Amino acid sequence: METAYLSGREWTERARSLREEGWRLSAYCGVDRLNLGGGEVRFEMVAQLMQPETKDLLTIHVGAEGDPPTIPSVSGIFPTVNFMEREAYDLYGIRFEGHPNLRRLLLPDEWEGHPLRKDYGVGKVPLQFLPQPFLQIDQPGQAPDAAEAGAEVDDLGQSGRAR
Amino acid sequence: MSKTFDRLVSGIDSDGHGAYVEEHDEESNSMVINMGPVHPSTHGVLRLLLELDGETVLRCEPIIGYLHTGMEKECEDQNWRGAVTIVTRMDYLAQFANEQVYSMAVEELLGIDLPPRAVAIRCMIAELNRLSSHLVWFGTTGLDMGAMSAMFYGFREREMILDFFEMVTGLRMNNGYIIPGGVWVDLPDGWDAALEAILDVMPKRLDEYEALLNENPIFLERTSGVGVLSRDDALALGATGPIARASGVDWDLRRDMPYEGYEGVTFAVPTATSGDVYGRYRVRMAEMRETLELIRHFADNMPEGDFKNMDPKLTPPPRSELNRSMEAVIHHFKLVTQGFTVPEGETYARVESPRGELGCYIVSDGGTSPYRCHVRDPSFVNLQALGPMAQGQLIADLIATIASTDPIMGGVDR
Repeated sequence: METAYLSGREWTERARSLREEGWRLSAYCGVDRLNLGGGEVRFEMVAQLMQPETKDLLTIHVGAEGDPPTIPSVSGIFPTVNFMEREAYDLYGIRFEGHPNLRRLLLPDEWEGHPLRKDYGVGKVPLQFLPQPFLQIDQPGQAPDAAEAGAEVDDLGQSGRAR
Repeated sequence: MSKTFDRLVSGIDSDGHGAYVEEHDEESNSMVINMGPVHPSTHGVLRLLLELDGETVLRCEPIIGYLHTGMEKECEDQNWRGAVTIVTRMDYLAQFANEQVYSMAVEELLGIDLPPRAVAIRCMIAELNRLSSHLVWFGTTGLDMGAMSAMFYGFREREMILDFFEMVTGLRMNNGYIIPGGVWVDLPDGWDAALEAILDVMPKRLDEYEALLNENPIFLERTSGVGVLSRDDALALGATGPIARASGVDWDLRRDMPYEGYEGVTFAVPTATSGDVYGRYRVRMAEMRETLELIRHFADNMPEGDFKNMDPKLTPPPRSELNRSMEAVIHHFKLVTQGFTVPEGETYARVESPRGELGCYIVSDGGTSPYRCHVRDPSFVNLQALGPMAQGQLIADLIATIASTDPIMGGVDR
């Protein structure tokens, strides 16, 4: 298995030529190298590619430079990375320039932070869900009351209101 | 293409309401509605935002994350052996495939070989798992299309397979049976008779299913020409497994990039060219028959010997050793308190799960737990194909289309 380390711009060009040569992209995921050492770039995306004819395998590491970490999106070249880039944006906070719909995929839109980062603790972070107004409909036909969306919450994110 | 859809699809949850009510877009005269996350045909908690013109779907956007529990993060908090219990809960209908791909990745970093018996057990149980997973798909698909008897048939046969899993592993789901280095317990006495009972009855039952549905006019009406995915779209969107094979992509990792026990085994890979729901149905039914042959192959050629790698740095010593050898006690103590370490490095392993290419990317920093464990779940990637499949068809056909993609939300959301 071959491994290559590329910058964002090189990656876009390489992706285009790989696509033309018939390579398929299997997986595209983020890695936080905070505790690994070695490279200067903390965040990187790792792409797993495969050539179906020759059965060649290729791993490409793309460094995400800057703050916030940024990589050009390849969703125009490999449409399959659409969800994968959104997942990395959601869980690592990597921006993908030119992505058509870059917003959180797995976590709620109002979530703060990026949980797969190494400095984001496990089990120490309280749940961040807002009380949703649809829980507060008491009678059929009653409209949800948006004003109640800001109701007080306790440590566990419960609205404290008996349902 | 309405602005209402664009507004709702970007940042729905943050403005509180609106996501849960129907909205009429004045400008384009289309209706934006929400299907799921609690809808009996969405197979768990899949939510779809639909833009409709009358009953025709103009756009369909899957919204996921309702089952997200941060399993990849949890893996980083477990030791290498313990992470098996996390990955098995991802795609919970293909639990053995998850365990297998994770174990293969860890074994590659460890650089160890497996005893032949371990390999045969793993492949046999993974193939049985493919059968049980397809039976759930068969049952739920039938149910979604109004053939309730299919549900009963599918689950009746699956019960036999789950009983076999229980006999071998002690559990019906989330088994944690395949571990780095082999499997954690040998096959019990009488496993071959129990397996023979399944292999005996299944071909007859498959004939029954096909007699029930293959030429059923109602079923044909609801499935042929519905939810069509072209070959180009399937390749571009990275669809794998029966979905891609039904669109004419002749690709199966077991045959094309053989791993573990599949090397040198010949079997047919069923494909179809129609790319519709009926094509996916035929591909999965044919796949079940091939799977029966593969199970028989692995069971008939089951080698004797160890069922896991007996390296003392990886596997605790047998109980009898602990009374005699100080070294065995030390190994046991280290393995129980810390677990084994894996050399620094990264690797990506892939297997053909019932739903397509299941990959596992692992990074090790040389410690006792994974530094990064990413699972490329086939349902997650295949779900992107739902938009193109649904576009331009009736909303009632969307139910059949979802059923044919067979998404497992545990794997999608992880």
